[in-house]
Amino acid sequence: MNHNPPPAAGRPAGWRPRPAPDQPTVFLPKIDVLHAGPQGQRFIPEPDEEDTGWIENDDRLESPPPPKDTARRVVRSFGELFITAGLVILLFVVYEVYWTDLISAGKQNQATSSLDSQWKDQDTVGNGPQRGTHYDLAEGKGFAKLYVPALGADYHFTIVEGTTDADLDIGPGHYIGSALPGQPGDFAVAGHRVGKGAPFNDLDLISSCDAIVVETETDWFVYRMLPTKDEVAGWASGKGAQPQCKGVAPLGGPYAGLVGQETVLPSQGDVIAPVPHQANLQVPAGQQASLMTLTTCTPKFSASHRLILHSVLTNQYPKDPKHPEQVPPALKETD
Amino acid sequence: MYGWIWRHLPGPTAAKVAEAVVLVLGIVALLMLVVFPWVEPLLPFNQVTTG
Repeated sequence: MNHNPPPAAGRPAGWRPRPAPDQPTVFLPKIDVLHAGPQGQRFIPEPDEEDTGWIENDDRLESPPPPKDTARRVVRSFGELFITAGLVILLFVVYEVYWTDLISAGKQNQATSSLDSQWKDQDTVGNGPQRGTHYDLAEGKGFAKLYVPALGADYHFTIVEGTTDADLDIGPGHYIGSALPGQPGDFAVAGHRVGKGAPFNDLDLISSCDAIVVETETDWFVYRMLPTKDEVAGWASGKGAQPQCKGVAPLGGPYAGLVGQETVLPSQGDVIAPVPHQANLQVPAGQQASLMTLTTCTPKFSASHRLILHSVLTNQYPKDPKHPEQVPPALKETD
Repeated sequence: MYGWIWRHLPGPTAAKVAEAVVLVLGIVALLMLVVFPWVEPLLPFNQVTTG
């Protein structure tokens, strides 16, 4: 390279150009003297804690800026909505299966204690000939207690009057207008299968001849489940011969065909008629059997059908106020 | 939706977490105590009577 400019005209004589530098001008790379590593190594700076401008601390790296893309935003919002809906439905299951149990347990305890105190008060007032079958029937108020020893010694519920949702939140509810405990006709009671204390959760586990005991202010009534469809044929020589089946047999007359357990459609209200399935049949009270019918929903978590359990009165024990510890032997059948 | 809520919660991260928990509990309570008891009788899960 020759940087010497050519001699220009008009220069004074003897003018000579300045000697050119030995080396042409070169541009050295910029060196960061603070962070320069040893010679020959690639320069890899280390993060400096005081260096707040360091790129790793940049928020833009952690959360990318919200996309401007509308379609993407819509899809994401829908996804979030669906996830939220799923969580809400899960929460509803928790509500239905657990939460309502808690609420109903409180209501059931309240109904039981108010019934207990009512019975206690009337025990002290009416003692002797005034005592008799007397019910204070008011909707949502307890008037009898239900025991099913086959479902456990601790299985007991206070039966309230009425079968509205509010009544059944408290406990098993007596169909208004159906017979009362021990009376001829059909003492019909509905109860929840799932949640709300689930009094009739295990209704399908009760088998024929199992005792369903009802306690009123004055009496104990022992009902026993009628033979099932499969057991009717060989009842007398089969299960009917067992000692706890005393008084239980397939019923005749207008009751022919009535079995202990059946599944019906919700519209079949005649299962709780005085003579079940014969709503229009007029049978004098004297010829009516004393039945008890329990109804609940089936299959579980469904309202498509109703599970019906029919039982017949086998024993009645008047309560002796002087010996409140006397209970029917059927209460001990907890196996 | 959730991102929008999170961005609009005031305060530092710790405060945002606390606010989010309160928000979630409030919504759960609203569902459990008001919405579910109202909607339940309308759903075909627990009808036990006949007729």
